[in-house]
Amino acid sequence: MSSLYDTMEPNVIDDDMLRNAVEEQGPKEEAGRIAKLEGIDFKHVSSLRLDFKNILKIDNLWQFHSLTKLQLDNNIIEKISGLDTLVHLVWLDLSFNNIEVIEGLKALTKLEDLSLYNNRISVVENMDTLSNLQVLSLGNNNLTSLENLIYLRKFKQLRTLSLAGNPLSEDDQYKLFIAAHLPNLAYLDFRLLNENIREMATMKYQYSIDDITHNENQEKRKQEEEEQKQRELDLHKAAYVENLNGPFLFESMYADDADGTKLSGLPGVAELMDSYRSKCIEICQNIFEYGMKQHEKREAEAFEFNECMQEAIRENQEQGAKKIQELTEKNSEILNELSQSGNQDFLDLKISQYIDDINKLLDSLMTLELQLVDQTEEIIKEYERNVSDMVSAFLETVQGLMAQVRDLENHHHEKLLEISINLLEKVLKGEMDDEITDDIRMIFVDKDTVINAVSASHDIHLLKIDNREDELVTKMNTWANNLIQKVQKDEIQRNRNRILEITTYIDHLRDELDNLELHEQM
Amino acid sequence: MEYLEDNKTETFEEEDKEREEDQVLDSDEVLDSNELNDMQECLSQTDLSNIDNNRAIQQLSLGSMEFPSYTTNSEKEEMLLGLADNFWHQYTHLYPDRKPLFMCPRNECGVEKFVCTTLHPTLLPYSDLYDWDQSAKFVSEYLTMEPLNPPLELPRSLFSSTSVLQKQSGNCFDFSVLLCSLLLGAGYDAYCVSGYATREMCLMDEKRNICPLLNKVEESSWEIPQKPLKKYTVKPPRQLISKFAVQQEAKKQAKMEEALRNEQEEETRLKEDAEKPGPDNLHGLRVHCWVLVLSGKREVPENFFIDALTGKSYATISEPFLGVESVWNHEDYWVNMQDCRNGCKDMKFDLGDPVCWEYLLQGGSKPLLLIPDEEDEEELNGETIQENKTIFQMPPSWVLPIVIRPKEFETRCPQGRKILQYKKAKHEKWAPYLKRDGHVSRLTGYLDTECTQEVKIQDCFQNRKDKLDLREQNKIEQVTTEYFIPGRADSLKVHEYRSLAPETERSMMFYSEARLDGLQRRDEKPVEMTEIYQGRADFLYYRHIVFGKRPKKVAIAGGPTEANPRPILKITERFNRNKEKPANEDVAERTFLLTEDRIQLRCHRKDDHITTSYWEFLKPANLGEKDTPIVLTPETCISYQVEPSEKFSKQLYVYETLVTLQQAEQNSKDNVRKSETEVREILATRAQEEADPQLTISIYDTERNEKSKEKREAMERAIQEERQRRAVQELDYLAPFLAQLGDPEKLTLWQAQKVKEDCLSDMKQRLIEKANLIQARFEKETQELQKKQQWYHQNQMSMSKEDEEAYLDYCSEAMFRIHILETRLNRHKDLAPQKYLALEDRLNKDPRLREPFLTS
Repeated sequence: MSSLYDTMEPNVIDDDMLRNAVEEQGPKEEAGRIAKLEGIDFKHVSSLRLDFKNILKIDNLWQFHSLTKLQLDNNIIEKISGLDTLVHLVWLDLSFNNIEVIEGLKALTKLEDLSLYNNRISVVENMDTLSNLQVLSLGNNNLTSLENLIYLRKFKQLRTLSLAGNPLSEDDQYKLFIAAHLPNLAYLDFRLLNENIREMATMKYQYSIDDITHNENQEKRKQEEEEQKQRELDLHKAAYVENLNGPFLFESMYADDADGTKLSGLPGVAELMDSYRSKCIEICQNIFEYGMKQHEKREAEAFEFNECMQEAIRENQEQGAKKIQELTEKNSEILNELSQSGNQDFLDLKISQYIDDINKLLDSLMTLELQLVDQTEEIIKEYERNVSDMVSAFLETVQGLMAQVRDLENHHHEKLLEISINLLEKVLKGEMDDEITDDIRMIFVDKDTVINAVSASHDIHLLKIDNREDELVTKMNTWANNLIQKVQKDEIQRNRNRILEITTYIDHLRDELDNLELHEQM
Repeated sequence: MEYLEDNKTETFEEEDKEREEDQVLDSDEVLDSNELNDMQECLSQTDLSNIDNNRAIQQLSLGSMEFPSYTTNSEKEEMLLGLADNFWHQYTHLYPDRKPLFMCPRNECGVEKFVCTTLHPTLLPYSDLYDWDQSAKFVSEYLTMEPLNPPLELPRSLFSSTSVLQKQSGNCFDFSVLLCSLLLGAGYDAYCVSGYATREMCLMDEKRNICPLLNKVEESSWEIPQKPLKKYTVKPPRQLISKFAVQQEAKKQAKMEEALRNEQEEETRLKEDAEKPGPDNLHGLRVHCWVLVLSGKREVPENFFIDALTGKSYATISEPFLGVESVWNHEDYWVNMQDCRNGCKDMKFDLGDPVCWEYLLQGGSKPLLLIPDEEDEEELNGETIQENKTIFQMPPSWVLPIVIRPKEFETRCPQGRKILQYKKAKHEKWAPYLKRDGHVSRLTGYLDTECTQEVKIQDCFQNRKDKLDLREQNKIEQVTTEYFIPGRADSLKVHEYRSLAPETERSMMFYSEARLDGLQRRDEKPVEMTEIYQGRADFLYYRHIVFGKRPKKVAIAGGPTEANPRPILKITERFNRNKEKPANEDVAERTFLLTEDRIQLRCHRKDDHITTSYWEFLKPANLGEKDTPIVLTPETCISYQVEPSEKFSKQLYVYETLVTLQQAEQNSKDNVRKSETEVREILATRAQEEADPQLTISIYDTERNEKSKEKREAMERAIQEERQRRAVQELDYLAPFLAQLGDPEKLTLWQAQKVKEDCLSDMKQRLIEKANLIQARFEKETQELQKKQQWYHQNQMSMSKEDEEAYLDYCSEAMFRIHILETRLNRHKDLAPQKYLALEDRLNKDPRLREPFLTS
């Protein structure tokens, strides 16, 4: 190609080139004639071949939305780009180009067959999202490092790999290394990796493979654990009681509270803190459990509602479909009769009868739909009422529990204040000189400072509690509102669709009849 | 007369007063002369029948009768007979009005035996007989029933079950004893009952009973499960109907229904009355014997009777059983003390209750009546245990073990066939392989009670090669239905037809899982065919074909029918939903109107829609022809789309769909032709199978499987031959020489030498003799030939042509013979020394002639 590169101007993918290619590769013979007459829409093209076109840059392919196979071989492409819109691609051929880096393939998650043969690639990389990859051709490139190929372990579906013509393939260990490290691979350089080679390879690379698998397993486990945690947290979040099943709230109270932390170091405060902490956690746990239970209840309610709704809609649909079915059967009979009979009066009679039938069908379908709307409206209202009841009950209980936390805080505050003042007196008398740290000494200067410090800590704590409560209440209310809105919106959407469908169908029937009449008269 | 009168009213009162009252009541009844005559007749038969019985005993010269237990009584048995005699004396003394008890009838050898010892509990090695119903069925089928004669008296004799099985017939007592033995052996708490029953029961007259096989199991009413009312279930739309009108309508309906029902009831009552048997003069007097099974063992939930003659079970309160005299099992004998005026309705079967039942031995395991007081119970238990030790134990049965061979078990009925008559039905049974076409049973249903007009015939088959299992013929509608078991090459399951000619009304069902095309059912009418499929990869489940009339065509003489197939007017195919395709593109119904060149497509309904997309294509005339431009007019494709999409409106799409549809149409047509051929083939096969029914024989059936039998016999023969051959081989070549010496145990050296020499010289002699013989023959032949030649030379001139030819023939033949003899002689000359040397060698090696074994 390089010789051509010097002599020929690079081409740009433009509309003419695409159109020519599409027409050339489109349907053949009679179908092709029709297609040409009609014009082919790029949107529906599923495979495209643009080889030997001297293309330098991949561009203007965004229209080919449903493309599954793309051949761009034997061009002078230097950089993979412009493929991000072709998400349905299964087959991509970029062989015999001048590509140096693998990139721009992130969006092609459905890709199964990728050919990068005869390019200038030196590292296998940037292919993390291609989890469906089955065939990979990387022959005649600049790959040098065997270690780099461990990257290919990611692709569990990979069956065929070709690497011949790379510097690394001259390595004696090349075949064994790959057989050992890619256990799912069936063909290497178009040759079956047989049991013998695999056995030898496993023996040879036993240790390194063990290491790798060990690491991989660990990573996998870690990932799974994280996912599990995330799932749990999501569930808690859905119940609006996240981070209430432990000391999070308590700890967050002290997180931004420097004075409080200092004060907790006072003698006698430790016990107080402990009891406060355990009580607070207990209440939080209560809130959490209650919240989870309520969440389950809400889910069950929603499930039941959806089920009933679906059932009603389904029944209604079936009735409607049955009516239409009946008419269709009658329709075909009438049409048959019409086509057979030549009597004008008889025809007119039949046609008027048919028109009546259509009108009747329209009426009955509309009645059915109205009826369904009435029915669903009723249950939606009921659902709304129930949901709001549930939400308010939940909020009330949570607020009550939160008030308990606040009481606890107040109680704690009083106790702390008492201890602090007692201590202050002692400090002022100089009895405690040895026992207190410098930090605390800073606070215990005079009464105001002490009280200020204690109240500041108290305020912070109350603020945290209030914030948490507010957050919960707001989220809960928003959820309730959104839910009802969504249900109503869906119902309206459904109703619109159905009416549209009915009218379209009736129009179609009438059109058909008109056409028929016209035809008869002609 | 008085006696009869008494008997007739006889119930087992214990109080004299009661009896008197009854008599007063009954004396009101006046017997008319007819009844008198009947009874006299019955009485006159009594003597005759006794003679019959005796003769029967004499005729039975059975092998088992030589067995001592049959001809004599053991000491214990004698004692038991004494006890029974004593009991009987007391009984007759206490209850002089009651009929004699059935205790000590004579057996087939004329020896008195106590009835309990006639029961021999046996468990036969057939799993079928482990349950009471199968046992009862077996007994009723295996034996032929002989009515009791006279019907009012107990039989004088009771045969052992072994001889009953041998002659395959018996009266109700024989039946019951056999069945009871089997049931006891299978672990049931079974008893023989001697008592009274209705005429129909005693004579095994089932003409008034509906055949049990005709009582079809009623389909359990399939109730639609009530949907649970959920919280958000929508309310049904309001019905705008007057409630009053509905009520009135309902009332009217109810009235009409009631009238109809009354009418029907009246009708059925009339019918029943007409079918009722005439009055029986001997009602309540007819002696019968049946089996009682008590609850408790083998998970029997409650007491019931089994009539051994028919093998049917009855509740203990059933009407046909009119009274019980006594019951017995292999352990004890009980006499009924209860009143049987109401039949067995009020009877209690708690045999431990001494008020209701009088026992003979109390040796049985039957517990005494349970007394609720616990303290007493303990005492009582102690007592019974003590008593039991002293009580007389029932001696073991005198009957030999009951043995039924597999072949007899399989053959069942005597001569392998049995006919049962029911109300409006006849049931015939045959043993397997008895009939050449594998027929094993036939149930014929009749329209009338006289059984003249057949309504329905049900034939069961077994072991048919064509897997035919059941054939039902409906004589009224002329419909035959054949059922097949799996395993046919064409997977046919059910075939319903009126005639075997093709292109008539029929319906075939198939084992769809065994067929490649998944065909489940094919219904045919003269011009229609419907096929139903199951589990196909292309989701096809229904195909309907309408045929047209055959166009007139000049028939090719003797040409096959395929030469002129029926034209297909219309093919309708329906498909199941293919979830992988969007509903708008998944075809639900495809109709090819072949005569109009039209194709209709209808898609599946999308989940949230009520309309379905459809297309109607008018095939352009030149579709499929190459190099001619096709004009696609708007009329080519008329469609309605639920969700209009650009893709479907394209001409290219229309064209491509048309092409695929045309292909599909051709395929469907081919399939229809294939179906037609298949039907014809099946019919031909069926006709052939019916004309020459063949039976399969299990490879495990050693009796019938000819091949395996032959093989086995051949094997036996081979073994036999092998044995003979070995015997011949062991023939000692030294024997004659040794015999000359008087067969000494061991030979001396001299003797050995002599034997050796003798043997060799004998061999030499024989070889020389043989050579001489051949030589002699050779010479004789040559001489004859020479003579002939001379004769020829002399008469050569005067010979006819035929003579000459004959001479030449003779010459060539003679030359051939001479040549053969010459060769043989030469060969013998060659071989003789070898043979001689071989013998010498053998002699030298013979262990008997070798040094170490010789006595010096």
